[in-house]
Amino acid sequence: MPSMEYDDSKPSWADQVEEEVDEGTLPPPKEIIKGNIKTITEYKIDDDGKKFKIVRTFKIETRKASKAVARRKNWKKFGNSEFDAKGPNVATTTVSDDVFMVFISSKEDLNAQDQEEDPMNKLKGQKIVSCRICKGDHWTTRCPYKDTLGPMQKELAEQLGLSTADKDKPAGSGEPEPAQPAQSKTGKYVPPSLRDGSTRRGESMQPNRRGGSDDNATIRVTNLSEDTRETDLQELFRPFGSISRIYLAKDKNTGQSKGFAFISFHRREDAARAIAGVSGFGYDHLILNVEWAKPSNN
Amino acid sequence: MRPILLQGHERSITQIKYNREGDLLFSVAKDTVTNVWYSVNGERLGTYNGHTGAVWCVDCDWDTKNVLTGSADNSCRLWDCQTGKQLALLETNSAVRTCGFDYSGNIIMFSTDKQMGYQCFLNFFDLRDPQQIEDNQPYQSIPCNDHKITSAAWGPLGEFVIAGHENGEFNQFSAKDGEILKKVKEHTKQINDLQTSLDLTMFISASKDNTAKLFDSATMDHIKTFRTERPVNSAAISPIMDHVVMGGGQEAMEVTTTSTRIGKFEARFFHACYEEEFGRVKGHFGPINCVAFHPDGKSYASGGEDGYTRIHCFDPQYFDFELEA
Repeated sequence: MPSMEYDDSKPSWADQVEEEVDEGTLPPPKEIIKGNIKTITEYKIDDDGKKFKIVRTFKIETRKASKAVARRKNWKKFGNSEFDAKGPNVATTTVSDDVFMVFISSKEDLNAQDQEEDPMNKLKGQKIVSCRICKGDHWTTRCPYKDTLGPMQKELAEQLGLSTADKDKPAGSGEPEPAQPAQSKTGKYVPPSLRDGSTRRGESMQPNRRGGSDDNATIRVTNLSEDTRETDLQELFRPFGSISRIYLAKDKNTGQSKGFAFISFHRREDAARAIAGVSGFGYDHLILNVEWAKPSNN
Repeated sequence: MRPILLQGHERSITQIKYNREGDLLFSVAKDTVTNVWYSVNGERLGTYNGHTGAVWCVDCDWDTKNVLTGSADNSCRLWDCQTGKQLALLETNSAVRTCGFDYSGNIIMFSTDKQMGYQCFLNFFDLRDPQQIEDNQPYQSIPCNDHKITSAAWGPLGEFVIAGHENGEFNQFSAKDGEILKKVKEHTKQINDLQTSLDLTMFISASKDNTAKLFDSATMDHIKTFRTERPVNSAAISPIMDHVVMGGGQEAMEVTTTSTRIGKFEARFFHACYEEEFGRVKGHFGPINCVAFHPDGKSYASGGEDGYTRIHCFDPQYFDFELEA
């Protein structure tokens, strides 16, 4: 294997004196064979006029071969290699980086690899990576809304489906429809533990969390897009019940939405259903987050 | 191990082959030259220049005197191995897909593609009769009307040629009278490669249907199946171990859309008896088109779609390794 090194150490003063005498001439290349190590020393001047000493070290191996093979080893080169010197030409033959055979020693390794690949293939085909609750890019069981809103989703989706179906669309609203609620009607399997029993628990827990502060029926919607208008929110939340007030936070200068809004319902149950129904829905490319509005600190 | 990288081609490698002793390695590619290398140090001995199209196949006779190549320039050429001189030019109507010397080196066979309105033919020439070469008249030409031959190899004793077809079927064609001796269909898709064991008693086929299969050459009995999840382009049987090596990967047309990490461009080693994979060797930047074991079993070479041929000498670990069954 040819190893190459550049020796640019300072020449001794004696060499320098010599250099001054006949500038530009280089010592002839030397070839030293010592045991099974062949060293070729060459000198070169590069474009900047700097002198280089190139030392190549070869290991000479003697291999025994049959006569036919040995004879072939001495064949003259031909074709495109006709003028190549003896030995491998660096233009066509190089030594590549070290590679190792990766041994797969036990069956477990194989299985592990298979498992690694198989779920990914399945996912590609079936798209089960979208969360049933919030449509997020994770498994349903890992959904952060699993315990709070998920259970109600389904039954509400049906109601929503009905209400959106026979809803007369307000004229002149060119805004995008909240089509997402209808998507949850796709009939994805919801395990029994998440259907009714937990629904009730969720309902009963929510007032507890509120600490029984008041009968405020206001919800806070966050992660709205900048283009959201009050009319959109009205359209989105009207199916859940009559709305008393909508407050959309807007930038004073630009008038664009700041990304959150408060919706006050007349009835607390409607608000609860709205939370369950809309939280986690994709709306204008964003996943809405709906929760109870915290009481203003006074 | 440190592979020797052979950069003699400008386009993807189509076939590589060792001569009988394994001191020379022939490589052909979709460019027009045929290279011959010393397998021990990767030194290029020379090139056989003359073809004007992609070269699909190469073979060398048993005493390394003659070299046979088949090309998409509608010709099959015979070369003097030592000097690189062209000895004979056999013109055909369509591209030559496979070629081979029988063990004696006296009879050559080659198959042509079904294209441009021409049928697929399996042709036999006897080199001892110069008249056949001169007249370009094979002593036997077998038409294959249904499915073209995509790979072929000589069976033992020069009695027949085993041909793998486009539809995954194998035929044994008698070299004497062209009769179909045996017919089996074990693959569902095209057979990309077909290589015999050193003693010619077995052969391994590599198919686009993601498997490689081991067969008995004479009886055509299916012995073993090696499964992967990508099309197999080539497979070879180790002459000294119960191992087979397979090269493949996704199809060339899909390569540009994926990274090398998921392309599965490794050479994969399977145990021939347990049909289980035990090792992989990385290196190529594209699918492996051809693999070949050195006849001494201590090294193997692979040629890839990336245009490189790599010669790998096995580390001692390879010989010590035992598969836990």
